[in-house]
Formats: sequence, structure tokens, C-alpha cells
Amino acid sequence: MKILKKAPRPFSLCFVFVFWLWPALALAIDNSACLDCHNDEGLTRENTHGGHGNGSLFVDGIKFNHSVHHINGILCVDCHADIEELDFDKDVPHKKELAKVACASCHDAEAVAFTNSVHTKISSKGITMTCYACHDYHYTTHLAAASVADRENNFCAKCHNPYQGHDWLPKKEEHFAFVECTVCHAPEVPRHIHLKFFDLVTNKFYKGEDILKILGIRYDQFMPLVDTNKDGTIGKDEFEIFELMLRQKNVHAIFHAELVAEMAPGAHQVNRGVAERNCEKCHTADSAYFDAVTIVLTKEDGSVDHHQVDRSVLASYSLRHFYIYAGTRVKLLDLIGIILVGGGLCGVLGHLTIRIVTIPLRRKKDN
Amino acid sequence: MSEKLIYIHPAPVRIWHWIHAAGIVALVLTGFQIRYAEMLGIMPLPDAITLHNYVGFVVIADYFLWLSYYLGTGKIKIYFPDLRTFVPDAIRQAKYYGFGIFKGEPNPHVMTPDNKFNAMQQKAYLGLMFMLLPAQMISGVFLWRVKGYADYVNLLGGIKIIDTIHVILFFFFASFLIAHCYLATLGHTPFAHFKAMFTGYEEHH
Ligand code: HEC
Ligand code: HEC
Ligand code: HEC
Ligand code: HEC
Ligand code: HEC
Ligand code: HEC
Ligand code: HEC
Repeated sequence: MKILKKAPRPFSLCFVFVFWLWPALALAIDNSACLDCHNDEGLTRENTHGGHGNGSLFVDGIKFNHSVHHINGILCVDCHADIEELDFDKDVPHKKELAKVACASCHDAEAVAFTNSVHTKISSKGITMTCYACHDYHYTTHLAAASVADRENNFCAKCHNPYQGHDWLPKKEEHFAFVECTVCHAPEVPRHIHLKFFDLVTNKFYKGEDILKILGIRYDQFMPLVDTNKDGTIGKDEFEIFELMLRQKNVHAIFHAELVAEMAPGAHQVNRGVAERNCEKCHTADSAYFDAVTIVLTKEDGSVDHHQVDRSVLASYSLRHFYIYAGTRVKLLDLIGIILVGGGLCGVLGHLTIRIVTIPLRRKKDN
Repeated sequence: MSEKLIYIHPAPVRIWHWIHAAGIVALVLTGFQIRYAEMLGIMPLPDAITLHNYVGFVVIADYFLWLSYYLGTGKIKIYFPDLRTFVPDAIRQAKYYGFGIFKGEPNPHVMTPDNKFNAMQQKAYLGLMFMLLPAQMISGVFLWRVKGYADYVNLLGGIKIIDTIHVILFFFFASFLIAHCYLATLGHTPFAHFKAMFTGYEEHH
């Protein structure tokens, strides 16, 4: 009896497959079907209609396979959603003019933030900006691993020259090198300090893998190794021990620190007149901008592991290459300052007091 | 009581000195503002930084005025102690500041144009003008263009190391400024040395 009762289950799975999944599978055209034609570098449009550059229709299959979309199982036809089938009886097996790809159909939060930005509002001037004015479309990769310089060159600096303007900001070069544009320009976006391993000799960043290989561990063994008191944060002492560990393995990397935006939709909410220009927001001892400090282990595909670090590390000599006026000042130096200036003052006041006290002595002598 | 005036401080030295003095005071004040931005409200941070940079370069230019004057005239030797008499001289001078001055004894050092510094001053100014001030100027220039001088900055161990040098020397200069002004009041009247630094003439008794 029991056996009979169980029988309907595999059957219902079959049912679901035949009537629901199967049609979907049949409709989803395999990427290779498209790439048969489009992986050909010679494929171009018949007529290079306006705005399509050289008219090339080449899609690099290998590069596409490394994209974040392919890795997450997104197919050509998920984006080119108006291709429902390929009709090989025709020269062109699909419509010659396809609809614009709607990134927003999957990335709705980003699209909303983007709608509220100056870059959408300029459409009243007749300029429409697409998502891929900034992002790649076929070869999109994870963005989090990129350095400030890459983030700027790949995005904002394609259209803006930050050196024209920002005249109120001293040390433009330093700020643009250490602070990502969106940190100031999209005040809504959360931000954090990225600490990456940089080799001064070869002028290159170490990838997460390189560091892990040197330490002989896997990604998930990193925190257990470094965070010895298991509180989830790498404290100042733990950081120093970690530094020593690297040194013993002959790694002479420095920690390169940058202030970057977190990967969040809010990065798109760039607007006129709302950018941060108050120096004291960053250049004070307890600035909220430096609350979140993370060691970044980058992965091959551009995604990263973030490991939380105590912010006191910023004001330590472990980070010799990062220093923000007033913001990350070394407290020990303040003590030295008090001793030096205080000492000078006490010496002077002491001497003066004795001089005053001994006035009668000298007066007697003069007489 | 016989009083005679001796011309000790020639015009270039006086000009150098007062530019330098104003410069150091401005640098110390803006320096405090930059380091303790959240505690002090002397002026906004951007202004403090801009002023600090400009004044810094004025002081550097002034340093070279000083250097070329003293090298050109050969008077630079007044900064170098006579090694044979330096130790006893310095002890004598220290005793004077520590005891003699209270008892009304005369200053063991008598200023002459060729020998205007006492042994302690020589030692202090030698270190100041040939080590500490140049170190402060160089570290200051590096901090002014951290990116531009990135190679040197990295070679020296990073911006925080440069900053540490600059800040410790800054505290030293702030402290020195206090001591220097006080010591200047130890002439035969509290303002005698100040006056001399304007007129060039020190009074001798
Ligand atoms: C038999 C070859 C062939 C196959 C298979 C094929 N295409 Fe095309 N495709 C073409 C040609 C030829 C054009 C150029 C049309 C023209 O001249 O404007 C084109 C144009 C395009 C365009 C540009 C349309 C426009 O609006 O400018 C896109 C996008 C495109 N194909 C996507 C796909 C996708 C996605 C697939 C797979 C589902 C695919 N193609 C499969 C041959 C092919
Ligand atoms: C993440 C969404 C996305 C995916 C996945 C995607 N495309 Fe595209 N594709 C676009 C966008 C956006 C454009 C740009 C249209 C424009 O320039 O107006 C485009 C343009 C094209 C073009 C026109 C030539 C060009 O490069 O501008 C071809 C051909 C094309 N895609 C083929 C493919 C093929 C083949 C695949 C699968 C291997 C694919 N696409 C996957 C978004 C995508
Ligand atoms: C003005 C340039 C620009 C445009 C246009 C733009 N983005 Fe972005 N996008 C960025 C920047 C900058 C980041 C954050 C990465 C960083 O901080 O470096 C980002 C991050 C992202 C991320 C990853 C972060 C997250 O929220 O997970 C996605 C996804 C994304 N954008 C999608 C889109 C979509 C969809 C559109 C169109 C509606 C779009 N972007 C238009 C600049 C742009
Ligand atoms: C069919 C759904 C779909 C469409 C359409 C789509 N994406 Fe994506 N996109 C994804 C998925 C899924 C991911 C992976 C998300 C993740 O790993 O967090 C992704 C990731 C991304 C990322 C990387 C974010 C990161 O983690 O750094 C960017 C950038 C991005 N997409 C931009 C675009 C752009 C631009 C378009 C339009 C040309 C587009 N996407 C269209 C589904 C889509
Ligand atoms: C594809 C080109 C393009 C990219 C990439 C781009 N912008 Fe823009 N941006 C524009 C245009 C066009 C305007 C409108 C200029 C105008 O109205 O005069 C604009 C306007 C702005 C404004 C307002 C300007 C004003 O006059 O007040 C700011 C701020 C801004 N962008 C910041 C950014 C930031 C930050 C990024 C990187 C995340 C970025 N932009 C990326 C094209 C771009
Ligand atoms: C320290 C914060 C900060 C950083 C970093 C920063 N900006 Fe700005 N930016 C501002 C402020 C403040 C304004 C003036 C008012 C406004 O638009 O909000 C401004 C103005 C602008 C403008 C408008 C017009 C102009 O030229 O004055 C553009 C475009 C712009 N920034 C682009 C960028 C780009 C691109 C980057 C990155 C390379 C960047 N900004 C980095 C704070 C910053
Ligand atoms: C969003 C945070 C932020 C804001 C706002 C900001 N700064 Fe900075 N500032 C930084 C960072 C980060 C650095 C680079 C630190 C480094 O070089 O290691 C820096 C560097 C500097 C430097 C160079 C010295 C150094 O340590 O490299 C000066 C000077 C400076 N800032 C002054 C200002 C002034 C003045 C303002 C206001 C007009 C201002 N900053 C606004 C974050 C900020």
C-alpha cells in the first residue's frame, strides 16, 4: 500500500517537466546558435545605420563566457528578448532591427536610482544615456575589485575631466587617486576603505589568490588564520601579526588604501549640487567615512571577499602609505607634541618665575 | 655706566629674520589648524592648507636668502663653534642661564659682529639651520605634492613616515618659538634684543 501511495510523485515531476519546463527549454535558444554567425569577426551590418559605429556584429564568444552574465546563466536571448526563434530560411534568421535591450528588466533597483540622477534628467536636453554608456554589455564583469583609477577611467572620466572644476578642492590629484568620484557625488551610497596588497617593486596589486597561495590556505581559511580572537574583525594587533606573517613569507607588499563606493544601486544617484564638499566630513579624527575598513581578496572573476578590519589600523604605522590630515592621525605623535610644547612652556615659565622671585637678590647687588 | 652701540645685525640678516619669524608663526598656527581641524576654528581647512603652502615656500625662499648671505660674506662661520673652547664655553653659558642670571652676573658671552652667538646658541642654530629646518622644508615639499613625489615618498617609507617627521619637527619648532621669544627677553631690558633686531644695533654695557 505504501508503495502505491508514493507512485504519483515522479509522475507529477514528469508532468511539470513536459508541460512547463519543456516549452521554456525549447524556446531558450542556445548561445552557440547565435555565435555560429556572430562569433565571425567579418560579420557586419548590411547598412551601417546611424550611431552603430563600424557596423561590426562580432561578439567574442570566449570573452562573453567570462562575463558576469554568462557565469550567472544569462543567455543571449535573455537580453535580446525579442528574438523568440531563429528562422534559418532567411538570410538573417531574426528581425534585422532588434529592440533596445532593457537592462532594467533585471536590474530594477539600479534603474530606479539611475532615473533619479542628473544623467537621466539631461534627457530634457535631448541626451539619452543608456546603462552601457558606462557599463560594458557583453563583457560585463564584477566591478568590486577595480581600483579607484580603473573605476574612474572606466566610468566618469570617459565623459568628464575632473580637473576642469573642483577648484575649491586642494590636492586634486591626491583626492582623485584615493577617493572614488561616487563617494562624493552619490552621497547615498555606502562606502568603505579597501585595503589591497601592493608590491612596490613590480608596481602591481597582488590578487587574493597570490596572497592565499603564499600563505598556503584557501579563501575560507583566511579569517580563521588572521582573526585569532574570532570576533569577526581584524584588530590592530592581529593586523600586525598578519603583516609579520607576510614578511616571513618574503612578501614585501604594502597595504594600499582607497576610499571606494560599495556595490549598491545608490552609486547611480549622481545629482547636481549634492556632492560632498565639506572637508571636515573626512578630515576629522572620527569621520564616519572611515568606519568601514576592509581587506580585499580579489578573485579571478572580479568578485571579492571583504574582511572587516578595525579602523584603528588606519592610524597605525602598518598603513604607512595612507594618511588623511586630521582624519587618521597617529595619537602617539600628539603625546610627543604635548611633551615638546608643554616642556618648552614649562621651562620658560619656570625660568621666568625664578627670575621674578630673585629680583630682590639682584636689586641688593645693584645697590 | 658706559653705553655703546655696536652694529651686529646687518640689514639682510634683519630682513631675513623677520620674514622668517612671521613665516614660522604663520606655519605653526596653520599647522595646528590642519592637524586639529575638528578642534580649532582659526580658519577653514582649505584656507589653512593654502596659506600653509604659500608661507612654506616663502620660508624656503627666505632660507636661501639667509644661506646665500652667510655663504657669500663668509660669515657662515659664526654658526660653527670653536671646537677647542666649545665645551667650557657651553658649560659657562649654561651656568649663566641656570644660576648667574638670577644673581645678576653679567652674560659671559659678549656679542661682536664676528661672534654674535654664544656657545649654546651656536649649537642650537647649527642643528636648526643645517638639519632640522632643511628636513622640515623637504618633508613639507613632499607633503605638498604627494602624488608628484610618490617615488621619493615611497622610498622614504610612505606618506605617514614623512608626515611623522614633519609633525615631530613641527612640535619642536612650536616649542622652540616659545623658548626663543622668552630668551630674547633676557637682554639688559626685556625689549633690548627685540629693538636690536629692528635697528641692527645692540647696546653694550
Ligand atoms: C545565420 C546567422 C545568424 C544567426 C544564427 C544569428 N544572427 Fe544575429 N544577425 C545576423 C545578421 C546577418 C545580422 C545583421 C542584420 C543587418 O544587416 O542589419 C544580425 C544582427 C543581429 C543584431 C543587431 C540587430 C540590430 O538591431 O542592429 C543582434 C543584436 C543580433 N543579430 C543578435 C542575435 C542573437 C541574440 C542571435 C541568437 C539568438 C543571433 N543574432 C543569431 C546573423 C545571424
Ligand atoms: C546583458 C545583456 C546582453 C547579453 C547577455 C547579450 N547581449 Fe548582445 N547586446 C546587448 C546590448 C545592450 C547591445 C547594444 C545595443 C546597442 O548598441 O544599441 C547588444 C548588441 C549586440 C549586437 C550588435 C553589435 C554590437 O556589439 O553592438 C549583437 C550582434 C549581439 N548583441 C549579439 C549577442 C549575442 C550573440 C549574445 C550571446 C552570446 C548576446 N548578444 C548577449 C546586450 C546583451
Ligand atoms: C554614469 C555611469 C553609469 C551608468 C549610466 C550606469 N551605471 Fe551602473 N554603475 C556605475 C558605477 C560607478 C557603479 C558602481 C561601481 C563603482 O562604484 O565603481 C555601478 C554599479 C552597477 C552595478 C553593480 C552594483 C549593484 O548595484 O549591484 C550594477 C548591477 C549596475 N551598475 C547596473 C546598471 C544599470 C542597470 C544601469 C542602467 C539603468 C546602469 N548601471 C547605468 C555607473 C553607471
Ligand atoms: C536577464 C537578466 C539580466 C539582464 C537583462 C541584465 N543583467 Fe546584468 N546581471 C544579471 C545577473 C543575474 C547578474 C549577476 C548578479 C550578481 O552576481 O550579483 C548581473 C550582473 C551585472 C553586473 C555586475 C555587478 C557586480 O556585481 O559587479 C553589471 C555591471 C550588470 N549586470 C550590468 C548590466 C547591464 C549594463 C545590462 C544591460 C545591458 C544588464 N546587466 C542586463 C542579470 C541581468
Ligand atoms: C557617457 C558620458 C557620461 C558619463 C560616463 C558620466 N557622465 Fe556625468 N554627465 C554627462 C552629461 C552629458 C552631463 C550633463 C552636462 C550638462 O548638463 O551640461 C553630466 C552631468 C554630470 C554632473 C552634473 C554637472 C553639473 O554641471 O553640475 C555630475 C556631477 C556628473 N555628471 C558626475 C558624473 C559622475 C560622478 C560620473 C561617474 C559615475 C559620470 N558623471 C559619468 C555625461 C556623462
Ligand atoms: C571630495 C569630493 C569630490 C570628489 C572626490 C569628486 N568630486 Fe566632483 N564635485 C564635487 C563637488 C562638491 C562639486 C560641486 C557641486 C556639485 O556638483 O555637487 C563637484 C562638481 C563636479 C562636476 C560638475 C561641474 C564642475 O566641473 O564643477 C562634475 C562633472 C564632477 N564634479 C565630476 C567628478 C568626477 C568625474 C570625479 C572623479 C574623478 C569627481 N567629480 C570627484 C565633489 C567631488
Ligand atoms: C570624501 C572624503 C574627503 C573629503 C570630502 C576631502 N578629503 Fe582631502 N583627502 C581625502 C583622502 C582619502 C586623501 C588622501 C590620503 C592619502 O594621500 O593617503 C586626502 C588628501 C588630502 C590632502 C593631501 C595630503 C595627504 O594627506 O595626502 C589635503 C591637503 C586634503 N586632502 C585637503 C582637503 C580639503 C581642504 C578638503 C575640503 C575642501 C578635503 N580635503 C576634502 C579625503 C577627503
